[in-house]
Amino acid sequence: MTAAFTESEERLALRKAVADLGRKYGQEYFDTAFKEGRKTTELWAEAGKLGYLGVAVPEEYGGGGGEIGDLAAVCEELAAAGCPLLLMVVSPAIVGTIIAQYGTEEQKQRWLPGLADGTSTYAFSITEPDAGSNSHNIVTTGYRTEDGWRLKGTKTYISGVDEADAVLVVARLEDARTGKLKPALFLVPTDAEGFTYNEIDMGITSPEKQFTLFFDDVLVPKDALIGSEDAGLEQLFAGLNPERIMASSFATGTARLALEKATAYAKERQVWKAPIGAHQAVAHPLAQTHIEIEMARLMTQKAAALYAAGDHMAAGEAANMAKYAAGEVVCAAVDRAIQTLGGNGLAHEYGLVQMLAGSRLSRIAPVSREMILNFVAQFSLGLPKSY
Amino acid sequence: MTKIVVAVKYVPDATADRKFESDDTVDRENVDGLLSELDEYAVEQALQIVEEGEGEVTVLTVGPDDAADAVRKALQMGADAGVHVNDEAIAGSDAIATSLVLAKAIEKLEYDLVMFGMASTDGSMGIVPTLVAERLGLPAVTYGSEITVDGSTVTIRRDGDAASETVTAEGKVVVSVTDQTGEPRYPSFKGIMAAKKKPVDEWSLADLGVDAAQVGLDASGTQVESTAPRPPRTAGEIVTDEGDGGTKLAEFLASKKFI
Repeated sequence: MTAAFTESEERLALRKAVADLGRKYGQEYFDTAFKEGRKTTELWAEAGKLGYLGVAVPEEYGGGGGEIGDLAAVCEELAAAGCPLLLMVVSPAIVGTIIAQYGTEEQKQRWLPGLADGTSTYAFSITEPDAGSNSHNIVTTGYRTEDGWRLKGTKTYISGVDEADAVLVVARLEDARTGKLKPALFLVPTDAEGFTYNEIDMGITSPEKQFTLFFDDVLVPKDALIGSEDAGLEQLFAGLNPERIMASSFATGTARLALEKATAYAKERQVWKAPIGAHQAVAHPLAQTHIEIEMARLMTQKAAALYAAGDHMAAGEAANMAKYAAGEVVCAAVDRAIQTLGGNGLAHEYGLVQMLAGSRLSRIAPVSREMILNFVAQFSLGLPKSY
Repeated sequence: MTKIVVAVKYVPDATADRKFESDDTVDRENVDGLLSELDEYAVEQALQIVEEGEGEVTVLTVGPDDAADAVRKALQMGADAGVHVNDEAIAGSDAIATSLVLAKAIEKLEYDLVMFGMASTDGSMGIVPTLVAERLGLPAVTYGSEITVDGSTVTIRRDGDAASETVTAEGKVVVSVTDQTGEPRYPSFKGIMAAKKKPVDEWSLADLGVDAAQVGLDASGTQVESTAPRPPRTAGEIVTDEGDGGTKLAEFLASKKFI
């Protein structure tokens, strides 16, 4: 059984290689890109070329043929090196998984190779102004036309649209406009006529931006509909467990970086006789953070292993729990790290204050802490539904 | 078809806290190790040579069990096969004794070219390539900052303080390359996955026909008398500029004979 609690030699080698690449860029590169209004294009391109972004894409479409756990390891190591790439959660994990599992052969051949080598990036849009956690309120609609589809609707808090070649849009079909969501997924090129987007002014230190999208009678061809009209929620959910696993890794990577900074500081910083790390009031919160990070990582790896084994129900529960634990620990890690550094914790030079808003993101998205607790209360514990 | 043997060393991580054993040999057990960064440049150049033409890269290391990690890293980067000479009797060997083991191992392999990094990041002596060349009876062209292979001719550019030399050698040759040759690649995901299927031979001294009495700490011609940790950095002197800051800086530089 012990094998289940350690990652394979190849996974560990992948982590090491990615960590080395991440160090070459590092937090300074990421922050400078943010400050100068640039993107992390160089890192994205190099990671793509080395096959790190496409690890989980099937080999026949130019990927590495690995698992979601491999992709999550890439995301975590880059975040731990100071380069948390939000679009990794979106492009290869959500969109890549959905196309690989439900796309037609033509769609796979057309969209996956670019995604695998990082030369193409796809955004994903589900959230709407009036449909946050409640996806059943989604109103963006696809209408049948002679040659394809006409899309109408609005999406908000959508990551990286300005960097994306296309956006995977969660919509309804006109004959299923009300009631429980029966999603239809459209891949819309970002240069499509009638498609516009506005940046939302966020307080997060990241070159990757958030947008509100407008689909104003956007015409797309028949094959813009990914997979089948009837695959329904199953097809959408195929992308959401990987998203949670990736979001967890994004958070634990950031938490590791915060803890590393705090620990290094506590070993060096001396105010009275001993380094401040000798004081238990400083040491214990850091030790606690380390334990909580390891627990969140273990749950993330469990979710990834269950997903790879095809046990999607168990993977869903584990991915939610992992996302909860990772969201909590990244908030705690950044908070405790800032406290360890005192005033320096809020100085840009020490690299922690930049993580503050981003760490809170992990508690909110892609599914809020409260919705995870609802899920666990209802499905794991069998408590009555509250909403 | 160029057959290249790249000799690499497994060294303690230079960014970690490096320690010595009680016999003043480097502690290789309790410090994380890795493929010497300077040797990655040799692996990179070897891979480029075979990628441009045709050939095979065999990576060779001499070291304890963990040294297999250095071989594996080179295989992940793209080398075709590995050889790991592992024998307890080798522990503590100096550069001269190590060169004997390397030379004997290289003699067992088919090769056109033997490549080294310019020096190890732990011992930093940089003499092993020349010692091995001497034992093999081959020319050594060392400290190449650029290397090209054309048929059986190897050309390197050797950068000195005042001038750059272009050195060529014919036939079998031992080359060492510097960190100016170009950044070594990161292992790709495919490289990592492929590495586990590549052959790695493990050889003992007996396999090489080397007598244990010729190597190891006792047989080494050089002995480390003592080791001491580098003294911690002391606080620098802070000059407050009261109009004479420039003068004080100049005085400091002059006192250290910089100006």
